[in-house]
Amino acid sequence: MTDDVQAPPPTQSEPGHLAADDVGLVAPRDFRHPGPFAFRSGQTIQGFTLRYETYGAMNATRDNAVLICHALSGDHHCAGWHSPADRKPGWWNNLIGPGKAVDTGRFFVVCANVLGGCQGSTGPSSTEPATGRPYGIRFPFVTIPDMVNAQKLLLDHLGVAELHAVMGGSMGGMTALMFAMEYPQLTRRQVIMASTANESAQAIAFNEVGRQAIMQDPAWNNGDYPRDGGPRVGLAIARMMAHITYLSDAGMDRKFGRRKRESAGGEAYTFDAQFEVESYLRHQGESFINRFDANSYLYITRAIDQFDAARAAGSLEQAFAPVQADSLVVGFASDWLFPPDQNRAIALALLRAGKRASYAELATDLGHDSFLLESDELYSLVRGFLERDETYSFDFAI
Amino acid sequence: MRVIGEWVEPNSRVLDLGCGRGELMAYLVQAKQVSATGVDLDFERISACVRRGLSAYQGDMTAFMRTFPDRHFDRVICSRTVHELNDPAGVILEALRVGSKVTVGFVNHGFWKNRIGMLFRGRKVRNAVYTTAWHESQPANPLTIADFEDFCRGKSIRVVRRAHLLGDWRTPCAVLPNLLAGYALYDLARG
Repeated sequence: MTDDVQAPPPTQSEPGHLAADDVGLVAPRDFRHPGPFAFRSGQTIQGFTLRYETYGAMNATRDNAVLICHALSGDHHCAGWHSPADRKPGWWNNLIGPGKAVDTGRFFVVCANVLGGCQGSTGPSSTEPATGRPYGIRFPFVTIPDMVNAQKLLLDHLGVAELHAVMGGSMGGMTALMFAMEYPQLTRRQVIMASTANESAQAIAFNEVGRQAIMQDPAWNNGDYPRDGGPRVGLAIARMMAHITYLSDAGMDRKFGRRKRESAGGEAYTFDAQFEVESYLRHQGESFINRFDANSYLYITRAIDQFDAARAAGSLEQAFAPVQADSLVVGFASDWLFPPDQNRAIALALLRAGKRASYAELATDLGHDSFLLESDELYSLVRGFLERDETYSFDFAI
Repeated sequence: MRVIGEWVEPNSRVLDLGCGRGELMAYLVQAKQVSATGVDLDFERISACVRRGLSAYQGDMTAFMRTFPDRHFDRVICSRTVHELNDPAGVILEALRVGSKVTVGFVNHGFWKNRIGMLFRGRKVRNAVYTTAWHESQPANPLTIADFEDFCRGKSIRVVRRAHLLGDWRTPCAVLPNLLAGYALYDLARG
């Protein structure tokens, strides 16, 4: 997920966090699970922490929660502002807030940083109790089901009886899908955007190049590096390459074209960044290393690669048999990382399994990151899905 | 809509090809408690279906049907859509594979008013289905009841029942349907 397809900084004179349709100033909290937690790999850790945020209020029947699932490089901060001085709000602030598509006036919105992450939840950069040092690659292998099971413990802690919906884009879509499969009684709706039931060879290949960039950096040192150090070059290159896969040819052409930086003079015969796209990617790489842990990048991309919703059951239809949720799958025409066909496949398998599922597709040129798009069409689709009555009462006016 | 409603079995599994904004599906869900899925090409129509609480799929109807096993649906409905298809025979035959029954509804271009309109006005037919001028509309295949009967015979498709309606699209038409019926509905099954 990129940083730049965000709600624009507020243009009005008042600060963004004071806008009427904004959740305003928010603060993350930590959920500490005290008991042992067993991973799919068979490995166990003694307790874990998930950092999370909530917006809106839980209702008396405890069934108005909407769980938001973040993508590879996302986190728990999906709406609102941590401080009035923040340059940007949470990553899905355009979608979540009072009166917005995910209306915090109706829903109790929960979003947690995944297990294995590095934004406050337990992961490879956390301290291993036995050694007092970061786990590094001694951290258990994390899978999408492990992330889901950890978040289920958080929901239990919060007292959520039923999820009105679980939703996410990219890896967040995988997490949402897994939630509906693992906890069918809990999940009434799922929204899956720009996602896949299993990655293509091409997507795995891109993740592998990113991992190799990290692991071939001598500073990676088999995952054993100090908190302020590590494979900064490798991680930045991994991010630069991955970032290209989140955009599209047409989108990059529109945004950068062949424009050169103002400081780049004429036909300079140098390897300094000349084109705007070069300096943009360098900036993306630079800013990423200051907020993301290289080992977490390895673990989470591995979890994404391993994810295969069909594998255990033999086919997607059989895997979806227990699902009780109504499903909305949204694909984006210019997404070539998790292309429309892979999103269609999820909706079609749900329908073949006899489930209630819809598929809609938006024509944008923003590539994979389109799910973060500011689009009234997308908002009204999501709002319509979340707010529709489950009992049929139709208006026949045409 | 009423005639289709009479033909649809309660609690059956229905696929609506060219579902639009879901009016027919919503009616069938309420009147016959069917489980309905719609297919349409247009985002806004799919979005309208989703708002109504319906299942709808944005995409090509033939590609959609190809991913389903034989007789997955009890009934496939292709109402007021067949004239706009690129490959009507391909769609109807594929519908007969994935559906136990197939309902096709279309405007009869053999209807006398349509013939006279064409003969005297010398203009493209316009009515509740064909609302637009030629330059505002999709390429359309104007077909008649006689054409459709020939098609079914030629493909060995069994006509389970037919409903021919007069120009008001309500009153049944007993004689000379190709001349006197404005709208035709066919219930088909494999031969």
